[in-house]
Amino acid sequence: MFQNQREGLALALPAAIFTAALFLLPVGILLSEAFKVDGSWSLQGYIDFASKPLNQVVFLRTLKLGFLVALVSAVIGYACAFCIVNLDGKHRGRVFGLIVLPLMISPVARTYAWIVILGRTGIVNDAIVGLGLSETPIRLLFTETAVFLGLLQLFMPLMIISLVSAMENLPKDAVPAARVLGAKWLQVFTRVILPLTKDGLVLGGTLVFTGSLTAYITPAILGGSKVLMLETLLYQRVNVANDFVSAGIIATILIVMSFGANILLKRISSARS
Amino acid sequence: MKYLLALSTALCLMAGAAQAADKKLTISVYSFAQDAFKKALYDPFEKICGCEIVVETGNSVERMAKIEANAANPVVDMAVMSSHDALALARKGLLQSLDVSKIPSHADLYKSAQDPIGNLMAVGYGFYATSIVYRSDLVTIDSWADLLSDKVKGRVALPNITGTQGPLTLHMLSKALGNEGIDFTKTIDAIGEKKDDIVTFYGRSSQLAQLMLQEEVIAAPVGRFAWSRFSGAKFPFKWAEPKEGQTGGMNVMLMTKGNGNEELAYQFMEYWLSNETQTRIAELKLDSPANSKVIVSDEIAESLTYGGELINSLNMLDSGAIIDNRDGWVDRWNEKVVN
Repeated sequence: MFQNQREGLALALPAAIFTAALFLLPVGILLSEAFKVDGSWSLQGYIDFASKPLNQVVFLRTLKLGFLVALVSAVIGYACAFCIVNLDGKHRGRVFGLIVLPLMISPVARTYAWIVILGRTGIVNDAIVGLGLSETPIRLLFTETAVFLGLLQLFMPLMIISLVSAMENLPKDAVPAARVLGAKWLQVFTRVILPLTKDGLVLGGTLVFTGSLTAYITPAILGGSKVLMLETLLYQRVNVANDFVSAGIIATILIVMSFGANILLKRISSARS
Repeated sequence: MKYLLALSTALCLMAGAAQAADKKLTISVYSFAQDAFKKALYDPFEKICGCEIVVETGNSVERMAKIEANAANPVVDMAVMSSHDALALARKGLLQSLDVSKIPSHADLYKSAQDPIGNLMAVGYGFYATSIVYRSDLVTIDSWADLLSDKVKGRVALPNITGTQGPLTLHMLSKALGNEGIDFTKTIDAIGEKKDDIVTFYGRSSQLAQLMLQEEVIAAPVGRFAWSRFSGAKFPFKWAEPKEGQTGGMNVMLMTKGNGNEELAYQFMEYWLSNETQTRIAELKLDSPANSKVIVSDEIAESLTYGGELINSLNMLDSGAIIDNRDGWVDRWNEKVVN
């Protein structure tokens, strides 16, 4: 495209300087504090952080909820995506629009809706009491279930979009051919659909998992201080204790977990193929 | 000669105008109701002093961090904070002792507001009582210990330990449970044992109001400043008068060390603490007055922490005790309650 490499680099330079000066440098300075103790480089901060039972619980809870949200998103996402790609063009557009619509609404509004739905007088508890499953309303708010549902609703559209894109590239006759050859639906999925859509799954899984790890509003509103996650703990350390070192440690852990998830998913997908 | 005179007069006028514009007071305040405070306090004062008030807001941690970071060359001249946050700044040597002869209204303040953290490092400008708000149609609250009783099981919220109301609740719960000692160990452990019966540990009174209006919570400790959120609501909320009494706290005003703007800061403090301004602020239900000469109607008083009898009866927690023990409380809380 360019006559020489220098021209290309020159055009990329402003964006590179912008990113380096306003993102990489400040983030680097902030995170570097997490590797220092009394001015010298050390991992002691991480050892201290990991040794506290509360931090262990919060770390495992964050990992568990991120994994569960990604897993359930993938299961529901595949079913949705399969339906969407088999619709005719007009209906496909409408359904796809409905999937994308929640992404255009503020996460705060979406999360507050869950407070109404999951509350003692909300429709879920009305249904539970109405069906005789419980004599009194059960507590759903400020539980891991509430945070899980909030995160699932928040990020599942990203998984569906990724899987729809991947499935659109699936050869039209691949599934019918497998069925004609006697494959059961589970075999069709594991032997045909999954290998051919793995890139979409890796992309969607990474987006959903990292999104769940780093979302703040939903765990803060639906979990509160009873269901602390790493991101709400980070906020607490900065805003309550002015403890930027712990915040830097948590931020580093979240970044490593995000990259780790992406690498792991890519490895799994390449191992399958 | 005429031209010379006109020129020098013009120059003098310009210099005077520039000086008035340069007269600037930077204050650090709570984010709460700033539009109302602007009309009731800042705008009238700006007219009197011919100066500009620069308002900085944020949570206490941010505001304290900024004062500490700029200690050598203070940006903030005057600030308002909780008494224990003010004491924390004073212990770091960031505040200057106040010359109360420059604050004539100081003599009219309730005694506990005149020198709340010692060495005249701050003066109180507002009180708040903390008690339990509850649904009187569903439950009766007679004691702080009722918060951990079966009658509110699964329908009670407590303030988080990291907020201002958290330690106050521990203080009164300890009193009700007969637990001695400022480390609150037994009380935190008792809350830990009942943690599954507690809906949440709220951070903001607005969050609690929402949960109570949604019938999720029927009893919780809260500051009187939030009472207006409940008093006109569709449910019969009541302000408890527990047998152990009410607790509460005080917000104070302070001056940063070596800010170089002391005269204007004293003028502003005096204006804020004056009977006239404190009455105006009280009538707008923005703050409960610390000036004992303030008189408000019964209707206004209902929303405030008002009157010497009530203020003197508050079981306040010592500011020094809060600072000295807070880390220990949070560690124990994290271990037993939110773990």
